[in-house]
Amino acid sequence: MLILPSQLVVDYTKCTGCRICELACTAKKEGRFQPSLARLKIVRYDDLGIDLPNVCGPCETAPCVDICPVYAIRRDPISKMTFLDNDRCILCKSCVGACVNGVILLDTKRMRIIKCDHCGGDPECAKACPTGAISYSHVSVAPSLDRHDKISSYLREIERTAQESGGAE
Amino acid sequence: MSLGGYNGKILRVNLSDGSFEVDPLPKSWVKDYIGGDGFGVKLLFEEVPGGTDPLSADNKLIIGTGPITGTMWPMSGRTVFISKAPLTGIWGESHVGGFLGPELKYAGYDMLVVEGKAEHPVYIRIEDTHLELCEASHLWGSTTDQTTINIKKAHHDPDIQVAAIGPAGERLVRFASVIVNHARAAGRTGMGSVLGSKNVKAIAIRGHGGVDVYDHEGFFELAKKAHRRVRENPQAREMGKWGTWILTAVKQEIGELPTYNHRTGVFPGFEKLTGDYIRPRFTISDRACFGCSLGCKKVNYVKTGPFAGTLEEGPEYEGLMAFGSSLGIDDYATTLKANQICNRYGMDIISAGATIGFAIEAFENGVITEKDTGGLKLEWGNREQAIHLLEMIAARQEFGNLLAEGSKRAAESIGKGAGKYAMHVKGLEVSGQDGRTHRSIGLGHATAARGADHLRSLVVVDQLGYEDVAAKRWGADKLPEIIDPYTEKYKATAVVESENAYCIRDTLIVCWYSVSWPPIFWMEDFAEMLPFATGVKHFGSVKNLTEIAERVVTMKRLFNKREGITRRDDNLPDRFTKEPMPEGPGKGQTVDLDPMLDDYYRLRGWDLKTGLPTEETIKRLSLEWTKAHS
Repeated sequence: MLILPSQLVVDYTKCTGCRICELACTAKKEGRFQPSLARLKIVRYDDLGIDLPNVCGPCETAPCVDICPVYAIRRDPISKMTFLDNDRCILCKSCVGACVNGVILLDTKRMRIIKCDHCGGDPECAKACPTGAISYSHVSVAPSLDRHDKISSYLREIERTAQESGGAE
Repeated sequence: MSLGGYNGKILRVNLSDGSFEVDPLPKSWVKDYIGGDGFGVKLLFEEVPGGTDPLSADNKLIIGTGPITGTMWPMSGRTVFISKAPLTGIWGESHVGGFLGPELKYAGYDMLVVEGKAEHPVYIRIEDTHLELCEASHLWGSTTDQTTINIKKAHHDPDIQVAAIGPAGERLVRFASVIVNHARAAGRTGMGSVLGSKNVKAIAIRGHGGVDVYDHEGFFELAKKAHRRVRENPQAREMGKWGTWILTAVKQEIGELPTYNHRTGVFPGFEKLTGDYIRPRFTISDRACFGCSLGCKKVNYVKTGPFAGTLEEGPEYEGLMAFGSSLGIDDYATTLKANQICNRYGMDIISAGATIGFAIEAFENGVITEKDTGGLKLEWGNREQAIHLLEMIAARQEFGNLLAEGSKRAAESIGKGAGKYAMHVKGLEVSGQDGRTHRSIGLGHATAARGADHLRSLVVVDQLGYEDVAAKRWGADKLPEIIDPYTEKYKATAVVESENAYCIRDTLIVCWYSVSWPPIFWMEDFAEMLPFATGVKHFGSVKNLTEIAERVVTMKRLFNKREGITRRDDNLPDRFTKEPMPEGPGKGQTVDLDPMLDDYYRLRGWDLKTGLPTEETIKRLSLEWTKAHS
């Protein structure tokens, strides 16, 4: 049997910006509620009404791996997820700057790099997300989910216009 | 004993001398008041004496949070603004969603108290322990959205949470609001003009800390379970889809959709103000406040018509009512445009709409003429005119200057019996309910501490006929009368018990939705959760929580007593008590307030004649100390 690797997959059209994922993440990882140390981040644009979940992965290339001078971050060749080895880390912060999603952090209080480890395959954020905007699934699923959404919105539009023209007669 | 949930710190900013001070949160407050509204009423009662002018430097503005603000408990991201209210001159509070309160907790404070008056425009900046007053002259005059973006840019931090006032707050419009996250309004009673009078343009908060509850594992599990309850509740799911728009059709069906300044409860054009109509045509995204798994906020875009190009969140049902049915306007785009103006200029949409409705009805009856309005022929259903009037109020221009005082003051200065058309209680404009078709809200409007208020004691269980919930809460022996919207019987029981539960809700602080409607969480759920969050065993019983609620409600009453409020002020506009509902299912109904008031005072332990707390009640709730401050 072929086991497809799972990743954190984001559907930003479903995100409401509630930040429950940030709370769940730190509740599990830090034992308190502290969004500033969350391993993922919701970027809210209040003026546009758009919320974008930024999570670790899936990245085509992995700048955090490439930039690390001491090879403390490795990448799983199959799932493409990246993992940090804190024992090797020298706190140079290169990965913090290199992460395109902005989800690698330096905790200045306890002097450590904070990075998502996907909760060992059972990510708390995906479980807590009330709308399914963050899920832990196969990357190949993502485009087909998008397609499904697109088709169903077309169908709704057709139904609506049919109803409207029906009502006008 | 270490307390969970609280930071144990009250941050004070004195604008007059520019100083900041961090006071410890008195431990004794926790057991007696929990937080939020409770701490607010204690502090305001002690520090703002009776007779203080709300717009003077002596008034104080409090931003409050509760023990679970910033945690993962569902809908716990709310914040309360408390002050003596410029619109009513009595107790003022306004709750708001968004993300401000959690940020204040993460910055390390439970409350922020704004005192004194700045010499020139400033904004208050709080970043953890970094506290400063920043120059805001360049922001004075700008809208709330511009102000928010400017402050975020100035400090290169998109995660700063900003509470801003708009031009209406600067110009001391009596019902000016404070806006958080562009479109979340601490709307009612005029908190924006309190900040305006103090020369505070905005409060910008950023926190990097966290909230520690007493029993993290236990609380986390309970919170997850609570979220599941919300996610699986069919009504909550509907609410997530339609937001409060779901109410329009319901209200029309029961004949309680305020129309033409509350003259009737039936609006022929209601269909264009329903969720079914709006969502497919205008909605572009669903949004939520902090920690909310329901997500009732809708962002909408108008493609055609005079308001084409309007992109804005909202409005809520109350906005649909205030600028839709209440003004005879059957057009959603107008309500969205009105909401946008109210958000940007910082005004309460309910009071703004009701004040315009007052003006139109007074004009119709010849009490106001074209001489007063500067040539405007006020009329129902005129979309552009309603928006024009709203802009005039925000700018305090010409006729708008009079309306900016709110319906009560405007009616008083017009005279000639104009008060007949001003729909307010204690100066606060009546929200989108009607006691004639829903008796308990008649009592609620009359008795609520801040005036005609739908958020402190609105009983939803009777209105929507939740028989099982009513039997569980109030006893099967009170059925069917207690859920009959057309009888006064037992209504005080429902109102008092709901007011108590909502009072605890406002001390925590959690949202209306999931507590008041749909009925998911109630006292017993709070009693189960609070000991996990705080470690205070005392909070573990509904009886103790009820006593705390009674204390807080009674304190708000004592606060109002100092301003001269008695039973005489617990009234309704004659429209609700003397003019029978002209049509719809509630045709012919009026409110008979007195028997309900008697029951209410009896249950509250207040004197029947004066409507004021009796000596015995003051003693029972350990409020003797209040006498030193009267």
